[in-house]
Amino acid sequence: MFSWCCALLLATGFMFIVGFLVVKGYRGINLELIFADTRLLDAFFLKRQVFGGLFPAIIGTLSLILLSIGFALPLGLASGIFLAEYASPRLKSFFSLMVDILAGIPSIVVGLFGFSITIFLHHFFSSQIFPCLLISALSLAFLILPYIIKTTQVAIESLPLQVRLTAPSLGATKLENIIFVLLPSALSDIVSGIVLAIGRCAEDTAVIMLTGVVATAGVPRSVFSNFEALPFYIYYIASEYSNSSELMKGYGAALILLLISAGLFALAHWIKLKIEQKTRFGY
Amino acid sequence: MENNIKIQIRNLWFYYKTISMLEGINVDFPENTITSITGPSGQGKSSFLMTMNRLWQCIDGASVKGEVKINFGNGFEDINHQKYPLPMLRRKVGMVFQTPNPLPMSIFKNIAFPFKLIGEKNQNKTFEKVEYALKKAFLWQEVKNRLTEDAGVLSGGQQQRLCIARALVLEPQVLLLDEPTSSLDEISAEMIEQLLLKLKKKCTIILVSHYMDQVKRIADTKFILSNRQLTLQEE
Repeated sequence: MFSWCCALLLATGFMFIVGFLVVKGYRGINLELIFADTRLLDAFFLKRQVFGGLFPAIIGTLSLILLSIGFALPLGLASGIFLAEYASPRLKSFFSLMVDILAGIPSIVVGLFGFSITIFLHHFFSSQIFPCLLISALSLAFLILPYIIKTTQVAIESLPLQVRLTAPSLGATKLENIIFVLLPSALSDIVSGIVLAIGRCAEDTAVIMLTGVVATAGVPRSVFSNFEALPFYIYYIASEYSNSSELMKGYGAALILLLISAGLFALAHWIKLKIEQKTRFGY
Repeated sequence: MENNIKIQIRNLWFYYKTISMLEGINVDFPENTITSITGPSGQGKSSFLMTMNRLWQCIDGASVKGEVKINFGNGFEDINHQKYPLPMLRRKVGMVFQTPNPLPMSIFKNIAFPFKLIGEKNQNKTFEKVEYALKKAFLWQEVKNRLTEDAGVLSGGQQQRLCIARALVLEPQVLLLDEPTSSLDEISAEMIEQLLLKLKKKCTIILVSHYMDQVKRIADTKFILSNRQLTLQEE
């Protein structure tokens, strides 16, 4: 009964938040909100900068998520596999503690760390180094790394002993067992961790505020440019809005951020299905 | 007599962390016979099987002391020697577990998996071997039109026969079976028994079973594992 109530509460909370955003924001969503007075093709082919629209922030957010996941995913998967399969018990408990501590670090501290690294690099390596998309993506990757490491490690470790023994009993080496059996068997749980990481990248504002996001940077031309991002835009509007139409834009941006996250979750699950189809079926 | 012995075990100890599960086992398993091992649960029967393909090395905290020698045709080889190639050993000593454990892949890929591991590129040969193994395990008729489906959709009995087919595909010289019929219905279990009787012409079979009737029907030599010791069961 208690479990039912909790599930109901969770579903109600989710419906309430999404419903609230849809009711408040759907009227604000239109092409003008995204492209302002710039023509679609001009915006897409970067012939003209979009001023006053969300297009640069959408591109900035997408670039940020993809770059952060791109940095964190290989490192996180490899670390998770190492902790689950190769590390000695002492090493495992030490690194697990480190990962747990890393997961508990507030994002503002990670942002400050990224900012400090930028200043250090600016002073000692090149005066051309400033807060930018790359620094933000690296800092965010640092923030989401524990999610990916932990879910990979737990997903592999929780596989039943018989599943773990099957491939070695047929002559597979440890690496072959990991690649052909353990990772495909743990894929669903690993994808859950990646989805969680995508959500964290999409919503985090504290890290990017200190490492490269600005209010009007336009579409980022390279990873060394400043950029705009939806969570920062929402934060900015929420704290600085002067009239109801600006607030409406903020709700619209929040709804778009939600849609982008949902789209990326769907993409992650689609990739998982494709991998499963490739391994689970056919000759 | 020495020529007929396939596996020779001397002073074998098996530890799980600090607890000894087997203490100083000495036993010979004759070639081309079915040897059964019965005994109460939790006495280390599965662990004992794993000493013959060194699968115990995949279990955290497990360790083994003593000699396990197998004659693969070139005289006895000590499989516990540190440099003994494990993948090769496990291809010659097949194993089927108590619970069916199909890999997360199609029926065909499950059976062809050992071929993938040895780097077999000839698709026709792989197809022939897969068909041969499935026929041997009495599964071909049921799955010949479903080879590309996920093996997880098969029934428990079919999955177990699939696992037996997978263990047979590389034609191992020794087959270790850990209660292979415990999850099967009577008809499937009888099929497996018939299969084992046929297989023993080419293969040395060590069978862990709780079914005394089954042991009486098919085993040539019977042992009981109890109190960390293996003792020959008199008729």
